[in-house]
Amino acid sequence: MLNYLIRRIFTSILVLFGVSILVFSVIHLVPGDVTMAILGRQKVNEAKVAELREQLGLNDPLYVQYGRYLGKALRGDLGVSIRNNQSVSKSIADQMPSTFALAISALVLALSIGGILGLIAALNHGTWFDTFVMGLSVSGLSIPTFWMGLLLILFFSVRLGMFPSISNGSSPAQLFLPALTLGLPEAAVAARMVRASMLDVLNKEYIVTARAKGLPQRLVIFKHALRNAMIPVVTFVGLQMAYLLGGATIVETMFARQGIGRLAVQSIFSRDYPMVQGVVLVTAAIYVLINTLTDITYVWLNPKIRLQ
Amino acid sequence: MTSNLPQPTFQANSPGARLIKRIFRNRSAQIGSIVLLVLVIASYAAPLFTSKDPNKTAPALALKSPSLEYPMGTDGIGRDNFARFLYGGRLSLRVGLVGITVGALIGITLGLISGYFGGWLDSLLSWFTDVLMAFPDILLALAIIAILGPGITNAMLAIGIAFVPSFMRLTRSSVLALREMTYIEAARSLGSSDARILVKHILPNSMRTLLVLITLGLGSSILAGAALNFLGLGAEPPTPEWGAMLNAGMKFVRQAWWLTVFPGVGIFLAVLSINLIGDAVSDAVAGTTVLTHKK
Repeated sequence: MLNYLIRRIFTSILVLFGVSILVFSVIHLVPGDVTMAILGRQKVNEAKVAELREQLGLNDPLYVQYGRYLGKALRGDLGVSIRNNQSVSKSIADQMPSTFALAISALVLALSIGGILGLIAALNHGTWFDTFVMGLSVSGLSIPTFWMGLLLILFFSVRLGMFPSISNGSSPAQLFLPALTLGLPEAAVAARMVRASMLDVLNKEYIVTARAKGLPQRLVIFKHALRNAMIPVVTFVGLQMAYLLGGATIVETMFARQGIGRLAVQSIFSRDYPMVQGVVLVTAAIYVLINTLTDITYVWLNPKIRLQ
Repeated sequence: MTSNLPQPTFQANSPGARLIKRIFRNRSAQIGSIVLLVLVIASYAAPLFTSKDPNKTAPALALKSPSLEYPMGTDGIGRDNFARFLYGGRLSLRVGLVGITVGALIGITLGLISGYFGGWLDSLLSWFTDVLMAFPDILLALAIIAILGPGITNAMLAIGIAFVPSFMRLTRSSVLALREMTYIEAARSLGSSDARILVKHILPNSMRTLLVLITLGLGSSILAGAALNFLGLGAEPPTPEWGAMLNAGMKFVRQAWWLTVFPGVGIFLAVLSINLIGDAVSDAVAGTTVLTHKK
């Protein structure tokens, strides 16, 4: 286990190193001169261009620039926004709680809706309900997040007047629609997975044994089957973080919610490169961290994998 | 190198034809292809279905609800929503198609090279894939747009690049399995060049698994394109495009439901039909290779 742990963490550090190079390059890959892209069609003022070049540190050799960027980033300093001179790290830290609240509520909704539907579908394998849930799940996967959000707004907020259509806050009523928008496609995936995993487990010999020795159905399902069927769900939660963090950009923009996703989109529009770099770097780092933890948990839960 | 051996052609009983037959015997693939065909015809033959100009504004006719004259109502500046829906499909479908093509071409090429030649090149390319995969979902496309700037061509490119890692990984793993096969060794001992072995032997044999990723990826690519357009990072107004239309319709969600419902139906049906075909493809492919994997 220790061996695996060291190897896995080492790989993640290598990946993070690559991510930092790529994010650092953003400013240098902009076609033409980046200062022109930032200053736009304003009358080009030599002094202003020089000042901006100085502020972005573009006058040093590349490796010096990268070294400085990495050194600062490791100390939590992601630079200063070009648009409002605020610290990038502070802006991200301010927006982060809102995105986390959204992602976690979406995950909880997805796992409960998808889990229950998947479980019932597996227990009624081959019936109309099973077919219905699977049909629902394919549709759920094909609905664009933003359209789902609009339909939910149309129904819950315009028609029923139950929830606000612009919801910037973390109370349950304000979180409900955004979280449902982000969570429903996840629920579709969760339903498929729980169903497949449960069907797999239900055919195992120890379930047959449990049934044969006369255990009531309730105990067979909740004590023996469900517990084992839940192991793949751990990986699911980790993998879906990618979707949740990405989907937050759309959901936050749509409900005009605070959050790092909306911050990223706004910064792209305003060509605030340090801010874009900061958000992308932090999001990728969180994602790599979650993936590493997921892999480690998975191996810890399944001693069999360690040997391979 | 020339050979007198008969070249594989697309005969009625070739493995390719059998696979296609298998796919289309599936009910969901049949439904999926019909829906997709209808959408393609509706958007590319749009002038046959409407005589209206999708970009002609008429402020006096703004926000009219659906009627015989305007089957999908009119938008905030009086443009015919039905005409915009039909013409908008062209761009939405094209973004998806171009995106996946770019991703597949780059990804498959890199995967072939990485898996076949191995060594430091393979390590470097694999590390690069891992790095690209560290950007969650749409974020990689967003980062690329941050570099290139918003616009429809850049959006297609961004989606394409975001698909590169998955294609590269899948191709690489398939090449690794095929590289040691006896027929590859035979081809090599007959003096075939590496390029010939890759293109003539390894690529066709990897196509089966790649086909699943290509079909399902087309669906995700259309979704991603619509998402970027919805965020306003793609098509410039007044170009009709389903994602961009939803964004514009959002302002009128309280007055005009038709502006937020119809373009979404377009995206949904396009993606759903492709996912249905994709499921059938993956069933058909699994069905033909299952013998070697069964417990």
